[in-house]
Amino acid sequence: MKPTAKPLNSHQIADLIVLCTLATVTTAYFFDAYHASTKILNLILILPVTSIVLVLCLLEFIQQIRGKAQPNEKAEPIAKTLPVMALFVGYVLTLPWLGFDVGTCLFICAYLWVYGERRWRWIAGYGLSFTLLMTSFFSMMLPYPMPMLLFSTAY
Amino acid sequence: MIEFDALHAGLGMLFSDLTPWLIVIPGILIGLVFGAIPGLQISMAMAIFLPMTLYMDFMQAMLFLTAIFTGGSFGGSIPAILMNIPGTSSAIATAFDGYPMSRNGQHNTALGVGLGASCVGVIIGYSLLFLLIGPISELVLKLGPAEMAAVVLWGITLIASLSGEHITKGIISGFFGLLIGTVGYSEAGVSRGTLGSAYLLDGIPAIPAMMGMFAASELFKLADSQYLVSDASARRVSIRKIFAGFKQAISYPWVILRGSVIGVFVGAVPGVGSSVANLLSYIETKRKHADSKSFGQGNPAGVVASESANSTSEAGSMATLLALGIPGGGATAVMLAAFAMHNITGGPQFIREQTDIVYAIIFANFGQAFLLIILGLLFIPLLANVVKVPMNYLIPSVLAMAVFGAFGLTGDLSGPITVAFFSIIGWIFKRYQYSVPAAVIGILLGAMAEESLIYSYQISGGQWSYLLERPITIALLVLLLFSLFGGKLVKMLTQKVSQ
Repeated sequence: MKPTAKPLNSHQIADLIVLCTLATVTTAYFFDAYHASTKILNLILILPVTSIVLVLCLLEFIQQIRGKAQPNEKAEPIAKTLPVMALFVGYVLTLPWLGFDVGTCLFICAYLWVYGERRWRWIAGYGLSFTLLMTSFFSMMLPYPMPMLLFSTAY
Repeated sequence: MIEFDALHAGLGMLFSDLTPWLIVIPGILIGLVFGAIPGLQISMAMAIFLPMTLYMDFMQAMLFLTAIFTGGSFGGSIPAILMNIPGTSSAIATAFDGYPMSRNGQHNTALGVGLGASCVGVIIGYSLLFLLIGPISELVLKLGPAEMAAVVLWGITLIASLSGEHITKGIISGFFGLLIGTVGYSEAGVSRGTLGSAYLLDGIPAIPAMMGMFAASELFKLADSQYLVSDASARRVSIRKIFAGFKQAISYPWVILRGSVIGVFVGAVPGVGSSVANLLSYIETKRKHADSKSFGQGNPAGVVASESANSTSEAGSMATLLALGIPGGGATAVMLAAFAMHNITGGPQFIREQTDIVYAIIFANFGQAFLLIILGLLFIPLLANVVKVPMNYLIPSVLAMAVFGAFGLTGDLSGPITVAFFSIIGWIFKRYQYSVPAAVIGILLGAMAEESLIYSYQISGGQWSYLLERPITIALLVLLLFSLFGGKLVKMLTQKVSQ
């Protein structure tokens, strides 16, 4: 009797989704480049590299389906990572409106609060002093204005 | 061949007056600070301070700029060791073992080892440059676009081969990175993968992408930790241990020598040299080491291999600049600008007619290496205190610094957005065991690989036989195949022999 393959766990399924996403993005990029121009000079690197990536993705897919790929046992729980990721992405995406001054201060304070700091004087003090230090250093060093809400660096 | 008259004149320029040395100390400190802050680059520091060199004579200007270069080469390893954030692409391999050492509470030793290997590397590198500037420049002249493309592909396969059991994922990562590196307006005049965004016409900003993939993704993983070093007693900053680390680096003479030779020759390859040299030295050291499995877990030899190669690749890139007038990267491009500001043109004629200045620059770097030892030993204890900062303060601070630094690099919000986007990609890659370093090298060198292939195609007229006329390209491609399949081949052969 043939041994039946073990069902894939959630980590392995996510691994397969990542692999398929990489293959899809690679294919989409190739077609975008192909539609832009079919000349050799345009596809000289993209065509062979896309082919290699897709062949390797297929090989890896087969290995993973057969359950031969080693799962990552050191992977940390997603629930612990998501808050920091969400805060960071939120910080970057709101920079055009909040500017580096207010945005950075809010990000630092929010992070400290979410990750256990409850002494509000510490939170406000550190957030403000860090922001002041960074914004003054970078606005002094950089030759172009930085988006700011309160402290304008327009030249 | 050494010209002793010119050597005597060069030494006279350096040591007849103390004034040139007064600007070396601030130069090294500027380099250390810019290298140690994630997001700030050596080339940025040199560009910012370039106008100051207008008030200096040419010799002083070169001393000042090379001092920033020397300080920055080591400075880049500090965040790599303490926070897994390579300050430059040439410090990527330093993070492989330096960061695990820090997490094991050996941050003092790791920083000392890095400083020792860097300083000794600079001395060996410039000694090789002093003896071999002629042959090195001749070698660089033989490198055409085909060789450049082969070096890029070799670098990616080298790093993918470090992925151990996940080599397929390693190669996928590297080649996927190469494709990302080609996004934007190409050398052939076509725009690809921009999704209609004007920000992407110049391509994806490579350094912010590197910062996101290495730094931010690692910090996401550490969100749950209290401190970088969990053992409270191991968090102490000890100058004694830093100094012991410095001495430990010297106890790996062969690793330093191998790294230095690789650094000078591979570092001389314009554009790709320094990014690949540290990886090549690391891999060679790992391959030859009796306990190769300890690499990646915090083996000091890994830090020595990488740091000795990246500090000597500075000498290699200086050889290309001085002998051929070709800048190998951002930092040497700024130096070329300093050449122009002082009405000097680098190249064979410069070497022939101003040999004394060339020797003075080389010998100034020996002096800078000794000054770096002193300044590094004073500066490191200050920075090593980072391990005492609680993670809930460290993580948002470093993330915010990365965002500021990325803005500084691009001049608009595309830098910070790139950091955020690639931090998530990096986190996914790490979680599912894709190689982040391979992807980063691909992104950094993708555009150059494509450009080199286009030039090769144009030179060869599309004839494959052109490759047969390029022995260096063939050798590099053979090495590429060996780095992928060499291990298996040797295993198969030894099994057959033992049977």
